[in-house]
Amino acid sequence: MSHVFLLGLAGALLLGGAIVSLALARHRILSGWLAFGAATAAGVAVFAVVVDTFRAGAGQETVLLRLPVLGAAWTVLVDPLSAFFLAIAAAICVLSALFSVHYMAHFERDSVARFYPVLLVFLASVVGVLVTTDFLFFLVFWELMTLTSFFLVTFESESRTTQRAGRKYFIVTHAATLGLIAGALVLWQTSGSFHFGAMRDALATLLGTRPLVGNLVILLFLLGFATKAGVLPMGDWLPDAHPVAPSGMSAVLSGALVKIGIYGLLRVFCGFVPVAGPVAGWGIVLALAGTGSLFVAMPTALAQTDSKRLMAFSTVGQIGYICLGLGVGLYCLPDRPALAALALMGALFHTANHACFKACLFLGAGAVLYRTGERNMDKLGGLGGAMPVTASSSMLASLSIAGVPPLNGFASKWLILATCLLAGMTAPLFLVLGIVGLFISLVTLASFLKVVGAVFLGQPSEDPRVREVPWTMAAPQAVLAALCVLLGVFPQVPLRLAHAALASAVQIDLPSSQALIGGPWTLAPSIGGLSVAFWAPLTIAAALVVLSALAYGLQRSAAARVRRVDVWTCGEPHGPSAVRYPATSLFVPFKDAFHGIYPAVPARAPAFPPALRKALDLDRWLFMPAARAVDRAAHGVGLTHAGIPQLYLLWIVVAAAVVVAIVLLAS
Amino acid sequence: MLTAVLVLTVVLPAVGALAVSGLRPRAVRATAVLVATATAILGVWTVTLAYPAAHRVALGGLPWLSGAAGQGVFGLLLDPLGSVLLLIVVVIGLLTVLYSTASVGEANRDHPVGPEDQRRYYFWLLAFVASMAGVAIAPNFLQLLVFWELTTLCSWALISFYRNDQSLRAGMKALVMTHAGGVFFLVAVFVLFVRTGSFEFSALASLSEGARVWVFAFLMLASWAKAAQVPFHTWLPDAMAAPTPISAYLHAAAMVKAGVYLMARSVSAGWAMPPEVAYVCGALALVTILVALSFYFVQDDLKRLLAYSTIAHLGYVLLGVALGGLGSMEGFRGGVLHIICHGASKALLFFCAGAVAYATGTRSIAALRGLGRRMPLTATAFFVGVLAVTGIPPFACFWSKFMLFAGALQFGGAIGPILLVVLLGETLVAFSWMLYVGQQVFFGAPSPAAAAGADPPLAMRATLVLLMAATLVAPAAGLPLVGLIGR
Amino acid sequence: MTTGALQVLGLCALNVLVAGLLSPLFEGMLRKLRAIVHSRMGPPLTQPYLDLLKLLGKEDLRTTGGVLSALGPAMTLGSVLVLAMLVPMGAPPPLGFAGDVIVLVYVAGMGAVFLMLTAFASGSPYAFVGGSREMMLLLAVEPAMAIALVVGAVKAGTLATGAIAAWQAANGPSLSTILAGLALFLALQAQAGKLPFDIAEADQEVMGGPLVELSGPRLALVRWALWARQLVVACLLVEVFAPWPRLGLLPLDLALTLVKALVVLVLVAVIDVVNPRLRVDQALRYYLRVGFSALAALAFAVIGM
Repeated sequence: MSHVFLLGLAGALLLGGAIVSLALARHRILSGWLAFGAATAAGVAVFAVVVDTFRAGAGQETVLLRLPVLGAAWTVLVDPLSAFFLAIAAAICVLSALFSVHYMAHFERDSVARFYPVLLVFLASVVGVLVTTDFLFFLVFWELMTLTSFFLVTFESESRTTQRAGRKYFIVTHAATLGLIAGALVLWQTSGSFHFGAMRDALATLLGTRPLVGNLVILLFLLGFATKAGVLPMGDWLPDAHPVAPSGMSAVLSGALVKIGIYGLLRVFCGFVPVAGPVAGWGIVLALAGTGSLFVAMPTALAQTDSKRLMAFSTVGQIGYICLGLGVGLYCLPDRPALAALALMGALFHTANHACFKACLFLGAGAVLYRTGERNMDKLGGLGGAMPVTASSSMLASLSIAGVPPLNGFASKWLILATCLLAGMTAPLFLVLGIVGLFISLVTLASFLKVVGAVFLGQPSEDPRVREVPWTMAAPQAVLAALCVLLGVFPQVPLRLAHAALASAVQIDLPSSQALIGGPWTLAPSIGGLSVAFWAPLTIAAALVVLSALAYGLQRSAAARVRRVDVWTCGEPHGPSAVRYPATSLFVPFKDAFHGIYPAVPARAPAFPPALRKALDLDRWLFMPAARAVDRAAHGVGLTHAGIPQLYLLWIVVAAAVVVAIVLLAS
Repeated sequence: MLTAVLVLTVVLPAVGALAVSGLRPRAVRATAVLVATATAILGVWTVTLAYPAAHRVALGGLPWLSGAAGQGVFGLLLDPLGSVLLLIVVVIGLLTVLYSTASVGEANRDHPVGPEDQRRYYFWLLAFVASMAGVAIAPNFLQLLVFWELTTLCSWALISFYRNDQSLRAGMKALVMTHAGGVFFLVAVFVLFVRTGSFEFSALASLSEGARVWVFAFLMLASWAKAAQVPFHTWLPDAMAAPTPISAYLHAAAMVKAGVYLMARSVSAGWAMPPEVAYVCGALALVTILVALSFYFVQDDLKRLLAYSTIAHLGYVLLGVALGGLGSMEGFRGGVLHIICHGASKALLFFCAGAVAYATGTRSIAALRGLGRRMPLTATAFFVGVLAVTGIPPFACFWSKFMLFAGALQFGGAIGPILLVVLLGETLVAFSWMLYVGQQVFFGAPSPAAAAGADPPLAMRATLVLLMAATLVAPAAGLPLVGLIGR
Repeated sequence: MTTGALQVLGLCALNVLVAGLLSPLFEGMLRKLRAIVHSRMGPPLTQPYLDLLKLLGKEDLRTTGGVLSALGPAMTLGSVLVLAMLVPMGAPPPLGFAGDVIVLVYVAGMGAVFLMLTAFASGSPYAFVGGSREMMLLLAVEPAMAIALVVGAVKAGTLATGAIAAWQAANGPSLSTILAGLALFLALQAQAGKLPFDIAEADQEVMGGPLVELSGPRLALVRWALWARQLVVACLLVEVFAPWPRLGLLPLDLALTLVKALVVLVLVAVIDVVNPRLRVDQALRYYLRVGFSALAALAFAVIGM
């Protein structure tokens, strides 16, 4: 079956599912199951396309619709880069839909008619964005994606914070889209077409003839996509919008939506910007933006007490890592294709990994919210015993995002940092960036130890409501956590896919994936034939397991008796909540050192000076006075009609005199 | 046959208007709906029949008025440009009548209307449909002028419909200001006839350089007044004293479009617009856009806010037309497409505002909060309208605005990019404010005024659903038509 | 293949045994040294071994029944031993093919992570305070350590730990590596949990911090892990920044490394004895300066000095 047929099938399933789930929105759970069913069926179709694309390469480009007036045509093509992101987005959306089935039941006052149908349309628009190769229609799907996600973010309709955050999200990203429109139009002016290929040629021409304009267009694209991806400072919408969305949607936002921004960046910088051109310079810009983003966002994340807000800030930080990888890759692209390929692969790999662990974490936070109604970590604690699946999934994901070997977060961070440092051997700037990246990964660790420690660990909670969430909510978390482990231990598989994706996107030939990542069990990237960095997850994992088992054997060797005791609180009996160490108090001096790194700028509606307002009120000083003047004049003329015959005679005489005078003077 | 259908499109609503004025109150609504439906079917049918060619018929003239060119004075013309206007007139006209059957009645909490007043209402409404259809198929300036003044008259009557002090003043103001513009139109037609002996649109191109500037300037003044452009924009916000369907139809979708249609007609007839006039037209359109935008932030009345938005969007159309006058075909087509896209979107917004006022009795943004829970369909329609009118794809105005942006950029030199940046900026600010208002009114905890809210009766709900669909379909209908312009 | 694999396994075993079995001895020597400075007799050199044996048999008191508190100490020790296999000890690191300096830095942090998780799992507020402090020290120390290792990597042009050590052995010291070695030495003070940086355990303040609720065999494993860590990091320091002389014979090189490590640890212990404990914010500020000095070393390395 052709790709277009399968994609069309997916789209039809999603739209059909949207309509059916809208019609059945009164039955919350049923509507949710229907949405999940539609998403899964569409996901299967999309995965068929993905698998086929990775197996057989990019398909045939198909024209679905022509708009001769604008020189645009809706063309559809799935290449491995699209397939890579399709797989991420579809997987995350399907899992989130499953999670939402029961989760959405706890919003009693808000109808799910505003959730499931919109979620399905959102997924359809994401698929549209990823498979379209014409920029005009790309923009159409892009904004459809924005507007559906806006309604998903603002689902909690009565909360002012939610509405404000959603508004900020939509306005900021719409501004970015307007930038994209401007950039696309400049290129269209040169080429007369919105097709990606034509735009690439147009950009190359433009960079040759008017480099300033060409680079401005690139800047517009960078801003447009980086805003969606959540790179600071444009990504300021993200820490507001993620926490207020329903948790299933937060997972989709972090797992799928911001990744589409990365897709855009890759498309533009790998596909459009000529390798011989300014790509290296833009690589530095991206790397700096990414590093700045992670340097600001992660310490800010550390200071949060709202668990979802913490995760949102860490999304900004992790996107920073991805951008750092992209930047290193682009910088190296012209001269060192091997290193470039590795860095870009690292960035892509981190994109997939981040989707797994961040979605898992948001779902975990959602599960906690579902049972306790609380996001404030100061008020939580000791949930691990009662919610084992949630706790262990969240903990694995936390360790993963913190980069603890041999989980997946480490594998991709390692690749990004290693390539960054290796690039730094000739361009020292990247050494500094790499070291900042290393340091910030420790801050990530601290942030997520805080989450794990403050929410799940410690003395068991006394809250009687707390028990494990229904399986529909637990299963997606478990799947994502398992993916964190699997992708970490077998990084070769995703890296090979990432390589295929890049090979289809960049404009130069990349070294083969075999040459780049080395042996079947070891990642040993080689530069110039010499392996300079090593990571063998299976070996390290095996060593860790064996040695820990030995140590545990030692622990049990003397068969020491185990006895349960209360926590020692200096002899005074206290309940768990009384002696619980609040999350706010963790890492205090360190957090203080970064105080003010993320300044809040309040936004206000524009205020117009009253004078201008008066000046613009034409009625007041122009029309009404004019009308009154006419009125007065008419009144003046009316005075002549006094009703006295003598007066009328006088007028006749005067008029006759005037006429005679005129005649005499004229002759 | 096409000719017969076209004539019928104008005659039928006129006959309908006369008929309803003589009917019993109970039959009025049904007759009006029937007539409007038939008109809409006829209108759409003629457009599809005529597509893609232009259809022109001379129907005769006045012996004492046949000029040097000797063409007939009366006739019919249906070309792509006229088709765009005709489509919007008949389709939105039908929806307006449909909406009015529920909205203009005793159940309206904002302004209850008794049965005896409805006769008057539908008479003027159907008369307006007829005169507006006449504008769309007028083959020359003289006939255009006649129907144009008829629309002004209908507008006056409908704005003053409630016959209270405020609406009488507003009606008078609208009449005086648009009619003052009409005087300039008259002068322009007169000069044209004296100089060329013809009323034809194409006669503009055969005018001498100096006369052409003046004729175009006069036509431009007329269209400014009709389309509520700065500095003649002040009548439109006051005209919101009219019943909401009237505001939607006359003062957003159709009548004000006659103003920009006149300009588009003049420009596209021979493409002979003097550049200096085009520059003035474009500059003033830009000023209008920005001035109207500046009024958004101080509006509390939903309808007044929408009126200012209409002013800005008419500015967009005129800007596109001016760009066309300066040689940018993309801009011109964008402007014309904007007529239909904006017509559908803004009518939807007005109908939503009307539904809100119908249910709650107020249009004050400050008084309304959290309506969405009680009026889900209206809320959905309002947001669709906001997104459509501010140009979020895939809704209507995105396509026309996109073409306008493209046209702006086709303008070489520094002006093009600057124009683009200004337009994009306006788009963003307008979008932000509209979104904010939408959230204020429909989200949040319900206010006391919102407690009475409920989705409106079936006829109004159907109108909203149809218009939501129209915001998606409008560009599909408009793009093939505008693609024919200038070929 | 088999001989190569066997060789790797043998070296792994050697490193694990050195780190595991000799680290209590080193600790014993350091205790003796501290006693001498204090003008005390001090415990016998074998006292740490005896402590461990005794603790392994003692009753295991647990505040929570979770898997994490049961397995945490074993994971802590396990990860420190994995670190030992990534560090050269008289020979190239046995798992050098499986992990470069970046892996090394992360694995070094892993032990602390498991210790903190164990601490948090216990539910004791003192453990939370201690864990929080441990994390902040990690935040302060690891960058300095990483920068020092990156200096070596820049000089050697590779990220492989063994290759960096070999390059050092072949090319001799330079200004940048000396500075970097100094930074790593200063980082060792906190890695070993010695005064003035024993802030996390701080017996007098938070009663052992992360260790407060550990007892019996679990305490034994954690103690052991901490001792092993100080030895392994000391070995890393001397192998990467002072690998001379290289004799080419494994037992001799290993012995030499251990002697050098002892010298380093003695220095650490002397600093420990003569200093009072710093507050954690003072420690942070101190290591910020160390980190910036290490950046200076990096700058020197970049310009080839």
